[in-house]
Amino acid sequence: MRSLVLLFFLFLCITVATAQQNLSISNSIDLGIGIGSSQATLSSAYIHNWNLGKKQKIQIGLGGRLTGYLGANQYYTTAPAKLTSGKTGPGVFFTENIEANIDTFLIAKPQTFAINAMINLGYKVTQKITLGFNIDAIGFSFGGAKRGNYINGSQGQNLTSKPTSFNLLLVSDNDLGSLNSEFYGKYQLTEKLALKAGFQFLFTEYTTDLEVQQFPDPNDRFRNKSSMFTAGVSFNLN
Amino acid sequence: MKKLFLLSIVVLSSCKEDDATPSAPINDNFNPSTATLLKSGSLTGIGHTVSGTVALYDTGSEKIILLDPFSSQNGPDLKVYLSKDQNASSYISLGVLKSTSGKQSYEIPGDPDITDYNYVMVWCEQFTVVFGRAEVKL
Repeated sequence: MRSLVLLFFLFLCITVATAQQNLSISNSIDLGIGIGSSQATLSSAYIHNWNLGKKQKIQIGLGGRLTGYLGANQYYTTAPAKLTSGKTGPGVFFTENIEANIDTFLIAKPQTFAINAMINLGYKVTQKITLGFNIDAIGFSFGGAKRGNYINGSQGQNLTSKPTSFNLLLVSDNDLGSLNSEFYGKYQLTEKLALKAGFQFLFTEYTTDLEVQQFPDPNDRFRNKSSMFTAGVSFNLN
Repeated sequence: MKKLFLLSIVVLSSCKEDDATPSAPINDNFNPSTATLLKSGSLTGIGHTVSGTVALYDTGSEKIILLDPFSSQNGPDLKVYLSKDQNASSYISLGVLKSTSGKQSYEIPGDPDITDYNYVMVWCEQFTVVFGRAEVKL
């Protein structure tokens, strides 16, 4: 739902700007690394931006991003909103988690790759500084099978899991799969090269071979929410 | 870039066997002569130093696992697992290892069918590493 709203907003802005003929286009390739607690990411993205407004300070873009994630001893928890919040839909964003429904799946060496279409929003504060936000919307994930420890009180199972294949941005725990997002600041070093730094919020998700969780409903999807600092470079292709 | 990425992960995730588990010898007061021996076995270290004897007892009101004698290399987040197989594919956690040495007893929760469970493990849960394992038999 959130992705549809963003897409609608994006095309609305582009349409308005095109009508006003205050539109320019810029393309860039961004490379970044994210570092968090016992986890890290490498990401590369191609972004096609429309620069809007009188001074073309507003950037709205679409692109594609490859995110590679590697972690150590990461705890994945019950993913479906139906279990974590007791319901689905936009309302889960404002709903407290139901702790009794949330089980843990501990993976020693999670490693996932996600290729997603992404949405970018930016604002040129000065000629050299841009602040922005981007978020993955839809795509797919892949990676090797990993054995993990399903922990449910005194009961447990060690079993195999794989990255959840399909990624889709919805709202909060309604999301599916592995989705990356970042708040960033970009400093233009030269016409072609900029430095980027920011904060990354990443969902990664594994699906177990069996519906290992049985209460209150059968479940095989477990999600890790990672917060990381990011740094990277952005190459202007124009 | 890839090397930097891998290096950062190694640095961030290094599994140091710190002294998270108490090491002072303990001596739980469980008396096995008042209970029925169900199964027993010897602990063997798996890439770590663990030794001792494991025995499962039925007291009539509860089932107990007794480690006596017992000694283990220290490590973080050590737990005692009662498992159906040597890979802990299905297990019951008996809780945190009380000490790396000394006589210690653990109640088995939930009154499971003990015939299905054939292994007792010392398991580092946080890092998914088995420290030691005993096959327990009648």
